[in-house]
Amino acid sequence: MSQKKFRLKGWSKYVVLTAALVIAIAPVYWMLSISLKTEVDQFAVPPRWIAFAPTLAHYYDAFFARSFGRYLVTSLTVATLSTICAVTLGTLAAYGLARFKLRAGLDRRLSMWILSTRMFPPIVTAVPLFLMMRDLRLLNTITALVIVYTALNLPFVVWMMRGFFRELPKELEEAAMVDGDSRLGALRRVILPLVTPGLAATAVFCLIVSWNEFLLGLVLTQTDASMTLPVGIAGRVTQYEIKWGVMSAAGVVAMIPILVFAMAVQKYLVRGLSLGAVKG
Amino acid sequence: MPYLLIAPTIAVLLALSIYPLFYAIKVSFQTGTGDAVRWSVANFARLASDGFFLSALAHTFIYAAIALTFEFLLGLWLAVLLDRPLRGRTLFRSALLIPMMLPPVVVGVVWRLMLNADFGAVNGTLKGAGVNTEALTWTASPLLAFASVIAVDIWQWTPFMFLVLLAGLQAIPQEPYEAALIDGSSAWQTFRHVTVPLLKPAILIALLLRTMDLMRVFDQIFILTEGGPGFSTETVSLYIYRTAFRFADFGYAAAMSFVLLLLTNIVSFGYIRLLQKQEAA
Repeated sequence: MSQKKFRLKGWSKYVVLTAALVIAIAPVYWMLSISLKTEVDQFAVPPRWIAFAPTLAHYYDAFFARSFGRYLVTSLTVATLSTICAVTLGTLAAYGLARFKLRAGLDRRLSMWILSTRMFPPIVTAVPLFLMMRDLRLLNTITALVIVYTALNLPFVVWMMRGFFRELPKELEEAAMVDGDSRLGALRRVILPLVTPGLAATAVFCLIVSWNEFLLGLVLTQTDASMTLPVGIAGRVTQYEIKWGVMSAAGVVAMIPILVFAMAVQKYLVRGLSLGAVKG
Repeated sequence: MPYLLIAPTIAVLLALSIYPLFYAIKVSFQTGTGDAVRWSVANFARLASDGFFLSALAHTFIYAAIALTFEFLLGLWLAVLLDRPLRGRTLFRSALLIPMMLPPVVVGVVWRLMLNADFGAVNGTLKGAGVNTEALTWTASPLLAFASVIAVDIWQWTPFMFLVLLAGLQAIPQEPYEAALIDGSSAWQTFRHVTVPLLKPAILIALLLRTMDLMRVFDQIFILTEGGPGFSTETVSLYIYRTAFRFADFGYAAAMSFVLLLLTNIVSFGYIRLLQKQEAA
């Protein structure tokens, strides 16, 4: 390969990558800019990408004058509570499945079964969950969302944490138990500190899933007091098309925590997204 | 002891994943409401002759096939470009992942703003470049709307393919490449005979996971077009949603759910088999 050809290749590489970068970012930046523009600037043709006088009026409008502040609080509550529940239950189960040989290969079978429950399309469980929650009089409650999101995240937690536990040698707990620790004492004092990074990443993934979830939220909550941010945004988008600033401001606020979280778990992203099938 | 640790998780999943499934089976064999409930297979019989259902099924498959092809090829291309050390690699990698991380509802909002026929950035930019955009109504005309929702899917999920394939590429050791170099293979031959076979597990995982998600696609389409105009972008998930929560026909919705579940099961079965193979290794 000649030197010249090589250089040309390097160039074209950057052209392609920069184009991909612009395509990936520009639409998001456009929403951000709309949320900061006065209506005059929003509807300017050709579009004003950079030169406009920024205003925070739409944020005030969305989160104080309208109900988006309320949806935001609901989203935060639901995401936090369901993550705590899923991580606690799931980690214990994962430890049990990673460290004990059950009869008849039950540990492996249970793991696979737990995984398979995650494969259900959400719309399949949406119909029965709606009917169940209706019978239990839990429609339009935060409780219903916390319960459902906990179940949604559990298989994921089990699989992730099981993987992390299996990477640690068994001798660690055995040594601690010889020193007089109980099994749970060894788990708490020796093992958990070692899996903390993995545990934190798993929790962040749960937060992302609960925060982004839309379909089940849409089905289970219809009132201002119980909807999450995505459900609230969706309702408004279809109601008043023209309030672009409000819509964008809500969209930006819904997006920011996710981007922060995603950066925090970059290292585990591949593993998390493929449920441990690809170790990135 | 292990049973005590596992039991709560099993209980939650039984109550919220397995029980609903049986509940749905029961509902799918019922027609009518209240005291007029009757047991029958009418819901399933109706599936085969329901034009809306069949077209929703067709939409879902076409949507999935096109989106999957583009996402895979583009993702692979980007992954290969970023496999070797390169200045600004971390920046490119992180920035390319942004679309995938966004809440799907936000993706819907973003693209509603971009594709608005009068004031959207896409048509605005085209107009600025002197293109006549009168015919480009995006989400308002059936064919363009279908193309638009697919394009948005590709925009959002190519990063996923890219990420998984890049991880797969990075896990390939140097030696096979050195051997290929000594054999005098061309770049294409090396890619074809070294990279692709070694990348196969990552490729399969990425394809299976994306296929599962594509078959259940709901969120962005709901925000962008609500299945319209007409029924032109209605997928199975949207049709089930409409049947259950607009027309309150839960039995028929449950029956359709089972068809969807069956179809995704075939794909997820493949995925689980792959995982099992890997666990055994």
